[in-house]
Amino acid sequence: MKHGEDVPDLKSVVPEVGLPFPRVDAAAKVTGVEKFAVDYYGDDLLWAGVKRAGIPHGRIRLVDTTAAAEIPGVLKVLTGSDVPGTNRQGIVHKDQPVLCDRKVRHCGDAVALVLAEDQATLKKALSLIHVDMEPIPGVFGIDDALMPGAPLVHEEHENGNILLKATIQAGEGNASLEGYDIILEETFDVPVQAHAFLETENGVAWQEPDGKVVLVVSTQAPFRDKWEISHALGLPMEKIRVIGPYLGGAFGGKDGATVQCLLALAALHAGGRRVKMWWDREESFLAGYKRHAARLHYHLGANADGTLQSLHCRLYYDTGAYAHLGGEVMALGMEHAGGPYRIPHTRIEGWCLYTNNPVAGAMRGFGVVQVSFAFERMMDLLAEKVGMDPLVLRMKNALRKGDKNCAGVTLTQSTGIVECLEQIGRHPLWLGRERWKGESGIFKKRGVGLAAVFNAMGYGRGLPDSALAKIEVTPEGRILLYSGVSDMGQGNATAFSQIAGQILGQESGNIDLVQPDTERTLPSGSAAASRTTYTYGNALIRACEELRRRIVGRAALMLLVDTLDDLELLPGRVRHPASGREILIATLAATMTEPERICISQFLMPVVKDVPDTGKEFKIGFPHLLFSYAAHLACVEVDELTGGVVAKDYLAVTEAGRVINPQSFEQQVQGAIAQGIGYATCEEVQLRNGRILTPDFATYIIPGAQDIPEMTSLAVDVYETSGPYGMKGVGEVGSNGPLPAIANALRDACGIHMTQSPLTAERVLAALQKK
Amino acid sequence: MKSVHLPRNMEDLWLIMEQETNARVYCGGTDLLVQMRSCEVDPPVLICLERIADIQGIREEPDSLWIGAGTTHTNLLSHPLSRRCLPVLAKALGTLGSPLIRNMGTIGGNICSASPAADTLPPLYVLDAEVELRSRDTIRVMPLCEFITGPGETRLERGEILTGIRVKNGEGYNLHHFEKIGQRRALACAIASLAAMLHVSSSGVVKAARLAWGSVGPMVVTSTKVEGAIIGENLSRKTLEKAADLAQRAVSPIDDVRASADYRRIVSGNLLLRLLDARPQI
Amino acid sequence: MKNPLDQYSVNGGAKPIDIEFMLNGRKTTINVVPNRRVVDVLREDLGLTGAKEGCGTGECGVCTILVDGSARLGCLMLAIQLADRDITTIEGLSQEGNLHPLQEAFIQYGAVQCGFCSPGMILTASSLLKQKPNPTRTAIREGLSGNLCRCTGYQKIVDAVEAAARKMAGREET
Repeated sequence: MKHGEDVPDLKSVVPEVGLPFPRVDAAAKVTGVEKFAVDYYGDDLLWAGVKRAGIPHGRIRLVDTTAAAEIPGVLKVLTGSDVPGTNRQGIVHKDQPVLCDRKVRHCGDAVALVLAEDQATLKKALSLIHVDMEPIPGVFGIDDALMPGAPLVHEEHENGNILLKATIQAGEGNASLEGYDIILEETFDVPVQAHAFLETENGVAWQEPDGKVVLVVSTQAPFRDKWEISHALGLPMEKIRVIGPYLGGAFGGKDGATVQCLLALAALHAGGRRVKMWWDREESFLAGYKRHAARLHYHLGANADGTLQSLHCRLYYDTGAYAHLGGEVMALGMEHAGGPYRIPHTRIEGWCLYTNNPVAGAMRGFGVVQVSFAFERMMDLLAEKVGMDPLVLRMKNALRKGDKNCAGVTLTQSTGIVECLEQIGRHPLWLGRERWKGESGIFKKRGVGLAAVFNAMGYGRGLPDSALAKIEVTPEGRILLYSGVSDMGQGNATAFSQIAGQILGQESGNIDLVQPDTERTLPSGSAAASRTTYTYGNALIRACEELRRRIVGRAALMLLVDTLDDLELLPGRVRHPASGREILIATLAATMTEPERICISQFLMPVVKDVPDTGKEFKIGFPHLLFSYAAHLACVEVDELTGGVVAKDYLAVTEAGRVINPQSFEQQVQGAIAQGIGYATCEEVQLRNGRILTPDFATYIIPGAQDIPEMTSLAVDVYETSGPYGMKGVGEVGSNGPLPAIANALRDACGIHMTQSPLTAERVLAALQKK
Repeated sequence: MKSVHLPRNMEDLWLIMEQETNARVYCGGTDLLVQMRSCEVDPPVLICLERIADIQGIREEPDSLWIGAGTTHTNLLSHPLSRRCLPVLAKALGTLGSPLIRNMGTIGGNICSASPAADTLPPLYVLDAEVELRSRDTIRVMPLCEFITGPGETRLERGEILTGIRVKNGEGYNLHHFEKIGQRRALACAIASLAAMLHVSSSGVVKAARLAWGSVGPMVVTSTKVEGAIIGENLSRKTLEKAADLAQRAVSPIDDVRASADYRRIVSGNLLLRLLDARPQI
Repeated sequence: MKNPLDQYSVNGGAKPIDIEFMLNGRKTTINVVPNRRVVDVLREDLGLTGAKEGCGTGECGVCTILVDGSARLGCLMLAIQLADRDITTIEGLSQEGNLHPLQEAFIQYGAVQCGFCSPGMILTASSLLKQKPNPTRTAIREGLSGNLCRCTGYQKIVDAVEAAARKMAGREET
């Protein structure tokens, strides 16, 4: 097939914001040319690996490494005493040892680090390390952790096993619920979920002659990694360089040091040689971070006409052995606990608990996925109680701009949940639902379920959500964009190219990107919180506008034109229409010095101005200013013989500001729904006494191509005044919808009331039999 | 594992097996190599059988079909004979693993794994399969149900390989049914499965029935009692519900990470009801 | 007759042997220990990192390569099995610098997000289209059921394969 005949040559297109534009990294990825961190090898490569605790709670008596160290081909075996610096990593709380010194707190805790010539020798050496431990009774769940006299995961922690206890209260949240027409109470349980990115945690590192440690890592936060490594190992920041290539998926699981401190430590002992660490799938399950399991007690008060009045909830999040971002995950969940609805009186209490379970950290939908199950099931229960159509009930209570949300924060920015619900109401899947349900076959029952969800963007208060964009016109006249935020598949590299192309009027083929590199790009925060395109994009707009002025300004000089307004910036050249004279960008760039050719600009995400007097326990995060919204409709079929649940159709209407790239928008929504369907129906990291019973892809089940239905994604286009080109982040909100929508559909299909997920065939069949 | 061999023919194979008495054979590797990765087994020597033409293919014999043990699931599935003569096996093959696994895995490997959840086994049981075992100097033939003696255990002897499977074709039955319950549509280890061949008369009476359940016992479960409960009866809901009750008592499932024994027991019965939704094929 | 055990050194450990096969259209000989996994040989020895590893147990499909046109899992194949085979990796799919219609379609239809599953997905799809040049969406999903994707939700991948099938069969898009 001749190239270019039927497919437009994308390289000669000037990308425009608002139009679908294919991913700029796609060509390299479909040809296998793009190098992920895992694709870095090297001459004279060493392999590093970790000996892990193997028991969930224990005191270390002795780590015997003699046998391992004697194997030919083993360079070094390191233990906790070999770690310089503090030997502590962590994002907010520095509570996680790089190599455990005194005790282990979960089965995946790192106890020793081996450097070897090859993987076979590494494996052998690891098997010969003997860790002599005194087992300690462990805490393996919420009840365990709270029991008076429970074993303490962190003995030095001031509040027992409670990492964080917090309260959000609005209106008269303290008042009792007695007296309301309708009072509903329910408890929900949601499991641990694994990110299951296809590229597992990995990196390569080496130490340069001047002592600098260079790492190429699959990471969502290369700049913060430097800081974590520096603190953990006592290395000066300027002696650490982190390079972050495109990631093979992350979804929050590579936010916070995974291999970084271990790899840097290995590099310090490798005599200048390159060291590679690559967690295989089983190690990723054992040692990688997870989504928090949670128990959610909801107590809702409403009027007989369906108006929500009061919400009391007690939320318990199991953060596992180390804090990671546990407090922040719970905080965000609490902030969303009332759903996208007006509830004048709320009292939302949360306990984030240490246990000896695997470490829970950031995962797409960050605490909100959990509460979405609860608040949306409660809404359907309320609809039944008051005899109202579930869509009508939601619209009645839905937040509008200017309302206060359940945390007492006034919504000053775009708030499009009502429009999302209205679009559902107009859609053939909703309008034709009764007929569709009536057409189910023998032994099948059909139902439809709604979910109205939302998700905040950005870091919230307490730390700056900022980015530094850097853009350059090279002496050859090309545009070089220095991205400060990792692209883990969400497509921000493409969004940035679109923005740069639009403002600078240059063809996509003339725009190159530098992926995050702490030595070349500038700190821009983590790839997280649905923030990267918004924050970096806003900074980039400013930097590009300045660069545009520079380029045109230099052209003015060389063309002897005295105002910039008379000049046009076109692909490859600047033109003076009045005289028809032109000058090539390459020509004028060649005359510019480096500082002239580079523009840098910073942007900080705006924050809530009138912070309500609540949630004082949160150091960072609470509250947020910007939210994206979505309404989902799941059309589900249940098999009465097996309990099997299949989503046959799925509709999502999302409001995330203006859509910069319809294709990227849809990609994010579809991907989020798929992960949500997994969470809803088949994904559960099963634990027993701290041990993972589902440690591989044979037992931890993520959806395949036949398990996800055809999805329809619609956008409500609302201009967000603070967003670059009016957009907001869309990465996470979609993952919150499927579990409640499917659970609600099950109720509709066969009357079962599910309060525990995933909604496996076994659980559903048991519920059917109880009826 | 220290070494691996790739014999091109049976003579090479016997030579290697004579010298390497601790060798394990494999064909697709989708089972053995996974077991080796998790250190369940650690054979010093491997022998890959994939190039030996003598153990591949499917051919028609006067009363039966012979299937080479080294035939990949894909080749078996796409062969016209399998759909025509062995529809219950073809249906099971379609649920096994994934297209990639099927391109590599073989029916011989699936049988020798003797996994309680092996997808080809329930159909092979209802097809009254026989296995052909060869060593350099011997040929043995025995019913599949005698070849498998327990979970992961067979009567294969040292120096022997499984070379072929002989099945009667499914003529005489006009309803061929297979259903597998898994946690997702593909790449799913069976939680429970049912293979069924029935002959249903034009008036709806069951004239003959063979049933076999997978993943609900240490080996495939068959039950003349359950079969007896439907033979001679109308293929009706009432009949199948009675049979379902009996089926629940015939199986002996366990709890595991995928499902509980209780669930497996209940669905073993429920799966029979699906026969109401299956249509007889001419 | 050559003793098939000649490849082993005296003390029984495997030593590297020459293995000859076609790789992306070129006759190739490698000298490797025969029990190394194909995915490791491709990535480490031959620098062909398009084939990835995601699980090592055949459950994810990112290690997919074509062996005599059939899609197989490189993590469950040993180097010796390459002998005399015709192997295609993602790097060999494009011809003379021209992208394969599937690669074009994956780009155009947004089927690539993080891209880690893309090489395996595309190779499996290419094999599928050879067997079924005009597949339904259901058949495409079935054909790709051994290739997991965590980013896309599969829909745009199905769109891309459908479009590529139309193009390859000479049917233009309406």
